[in-house]
Formats: sequence, structure tokens, C-alpha cells
Amino acid sequence: MFGYVRPDLTELKVKEFYRFRACYCGMCHELERSYGLAARFILNYDFVFLAMLLDERTAPPDYEMKRCAVSPLCARCVCCTSDALKRSAGYSVILAYWKVCDSVEDERSFARIKAQAARLALKGAYKRARALYPAFDEVVRTKLSELAQLEKAGEKSLDRAADKFALLLGAAGLTDGGAADRVREQLLYHLGRVIYIADAYHDLEEDLARGEYNPIAARYDVTSLPVSDEARESVRVTLRNSVSIMMADFELIGDTYWAGIMRNILFVGVPKMCDEVIAGTYQALPSKLPKVTSNGGPQ
Amino acid sequence: MNDPYTTLGVSRDASDAEIKKAYRELVSKYHPDKYVDNPLADLAQEKMKEINEAYDTITKMRSGSGSSGYARTGSGAGYSGASSASSGSTVFSEIRSAINSGNLGRAEQLLGTVQTRNAEWNFLMGSLCYKRGWLDEARQYYSVAANMDPTNGEYREALGYVNAGGYPYARSGFGMPANVNTDMCDVCTAMMCMNMLCRCR
Repeated sequence: MFGYVRPDLTELKVKEFYRFRACYCGMCHELERSYGLAARFILNYDFVFLAMLLDERTAPPDYEMKRCAVSPLCARCVCCTSDALKRSAGYSVILAYWKVCDSVEDERSFARIKAQAARLALKGAYKRARALYPAFDEVVRTKLSELAQLEKAGEKSLDRAADKFALLLGAAGLTDGGAADRVREQLLYHLGRVIYIADAYHDLEEDLARGEYNPIAARYDVTSLPVSDEARESVRVTLRNSVSIMMADFELIGDTYWAGIMRNILFVGVPKMCDEVIAGTYQALPSKLPKVTSNGGPQ
Repeated sequence: MNDPYTTLGVSRDASDAEIKKAYRELVSKYHPDKYVDNPLADLAQEKMKEINEAYDTITKMRSGSGSSGYARTGSGAGYSGASSASSGSTVFSEIRSAINSGNLGRAEQLLGTVQTRNAEWNFLMGSLCYKRGWLDEARQYYSVAANMDPTNGEYREALGYVNAGGYPYARSGFGMPANVNTDMCDVCTAMMCMNMLCRCR
């Protein structure tokens, strides 16, 4: 479910790559600082995007050199903590915790044991995050619960199912109730919709094999692969519609420090991801960003 | 009002051609065609108003004449959304206003009271779904509406818009093939070579 919201690294300017990596590393350090070692493992691109979206600054943030736990020989240039990073880190802990709870309910045998271990590891972090962001926690809990009910009932409407996850992510865009909240809420709604549908399409083969609910299978009456041309085209078009709305919404965000990277993600990375998912060539990026030997930092 | 030069993102001594170019780019960025049936269309309209005012102000200051800019009068060419046409039926008119003003709960409630599920009902259900972000359902309802009443241009336009995937943004980027190895080692190897061979930084 995570990792779909990513930049196209081949299209980023070099300075934007360094900025993106600094933000990514900043998120990792924020997760560890505020939520402990276990929380570092839930780091993903999607919440780095959220941190950039929530950050309204136009001037560069403060950077510092820090040791990387995964690559201990290199010091990395890391974004200093900010409200946006803190909020995004807290939200990612809350969502990860509830998703792991879902896995405990849904999975069997060894996968279930793994999920239970993850839930135990995240419990402390979750409690801290919930204390800081109770409203978001409530939205996540209720929307995931409603989604689980729809899935159990074999919901045939793709939109109705996607709507639950989309509303949940949309709520992550709300901060102080200003005009920017409206824009972020709608942009994140459609991003959530894209993530849900793309993930469902990507998991279609596995879900059919395990006899589990899949919203794409339910909507288009898919019982075996390959998916019909008509169904594939319909999914492609509905994803494209959401992407096009996100692009229009992004223009209303304003020219922040992270705008170039976010533009890459929304105008290049996400459409490319959708095309790859539909074509069956999508591969998750490794969770560790590629190494670049230069010690250059962002400007 | 903000400084018009700042609004257009140009310096005070920019040439007329540069100002016109900046104006055209901003108009293209916030063009109403991109915000058809988008609940945030009002924000885009505000931006358009700001941009047009800024351009008018600068043009008046520079030449003394009152030349006006693009897209002054509402939405330009293209699909205009469930705005104007009406069958005359009062409940459908009321539903249209509710949808256009963003009162989706009221629109849904009224649609539930209508017994005859004709083409217009399906079209309005589609518009409601589109505003909610239920784009797959919207496409299905628009399709039924266009099938039930093939002569209606509004329904055909709406269906055409969603079938095309919304606003036709140009494909960004170099469009490298999907199987290109996006390993950054290629980039960093190239940079290392450049560093060693050309002494460029």
C-alpha cells in the first residue's frame, strides 16, 4: 500500500534529488527521535511527500550533517526537524499501526505472527502519536473500520471502497482551517484514491490466488487473469481522471521550497507509476535511496 | 491589492513581451478548463481575477490604453460543466444549483426523491459523483445519460471529458523507456567521470 507516491528520479534536477534525500533522511531521524527505533522501519516515500506538502516555507530549511544508521560510514545532509516533518511522522505512525492491526485480523499463520510482532513493536510509538494527533487517529480508525466492513461484504463499487481510504488521506491535509487546507484535502483525497486503486490492481493476481476480496475484481467481475481490455482501460481512465484533478489542485498550492520535487511526483512520478501498474511492469523502489558518492548538499 | 509585478512574477523593468509571456503562462496555469466541476474552481477563479487585474494595471500604467487580457468573461472554449442548460423542471434546476454551489448533501437528497430516472437524472447523478471524487461512478452515469439522450450536447461533452481522463495535460519528462535502469549509480558514475576528466564541478 505504500511507496506508490514517488518521484521519477531520472527527471529530478540534481539539486532537487539532494533536497528530496535530505527530507527523506530528515523524516527517518524524526521518526526515531519522536517515536523510537521501531518507527524508523515504517519510513516510506508517501509520507515524505506529505511532509513536503504540509511545509509552506519558501526559504530553505536548516540542514545538518548526521550519521546514517543504515550506512554508518557516510554522514548525510539531513533536513532539521520542522512542524511538517513532525506531523507527517506522527500520521505515518498512526496509519502504520492501524494497517498492522488490520493485518493481524486478516492474515493467517506466519504472516499473522509477523503482524502481531509489528503491532507490539509500534504500540508505544502509536500511543505517543495518538496523544499528539487524536483527530487524525479517530479518522483513520473509523475509515479503516468502514473499509474493512465494505470489503467483507464484497463491495462492488470501486469508488465507494476507494472513498474510505481517500477520505482518510484527505484528512491528513488539514492543519489550521485556512484556504490551503481545502486544496491539500482535495489533492490528498485523489492521491488516496489513486493509491487504493493502483494497489488493488497491483495485488489482483495475489488476491485472486488467495480467494481474497479485491475491489478491482469485484467491480469488473474478474475471476482470472488476464484482465479484459475494457476493464484495464476503465481503470487507466479513472486513474488518469484523478491524476488530472491532482495536477490542477497542485497549481493552487503556491510556490513553496519543495514545489519542484512535488511537481515531479505529481506530474511525472505518479502518472508513470499508474502506467506501470496497468502494464504490469511496476516495481517497488528500494526503501533505501540510491547512494550518490558526491558529498554535495541541497541548496 | 498586491504589487502587480509580483503577482505576474516579473521585474519592474521587464519588457512588454516578457510581461505578456508571464501573463499567458499564468492564464494557462489557472485556466478554467482545468477546473471544470472541480470544487476548488472558485480558488482558481480568484487567481485568474488577480492575474487579469495585475495585467490590466501594468498595461494601463505603461501605455495609458485599456487593453484587456484573455479569458475575461468566464470560462473560455470547452466543456463548461453542469452550469447553464436546464430542462425547465424545477427540482432538476434546484439540484443543479445545489451541485454548483457545493451543497452535495442537499443535491443527493433531492435526487433521491425523483422517481423518473431519465437522462437528466443520470447526468446530474454523474455531476454529483464527479464533485465528490467518485469518478468511476460519474463516468458510468454520464454514459447512461448520453445513451438515453444521444442528442444532448451537454451529456456527450461530460462523457467525452471523463473518457479522455480529464484535462489533457501534456506528457511531462523525457519519457525514458520503462525498463531503463534507474539506478543512480549511472548518474554518479557519469558525474565522477566528468569530475576527473573535465575538472568541472
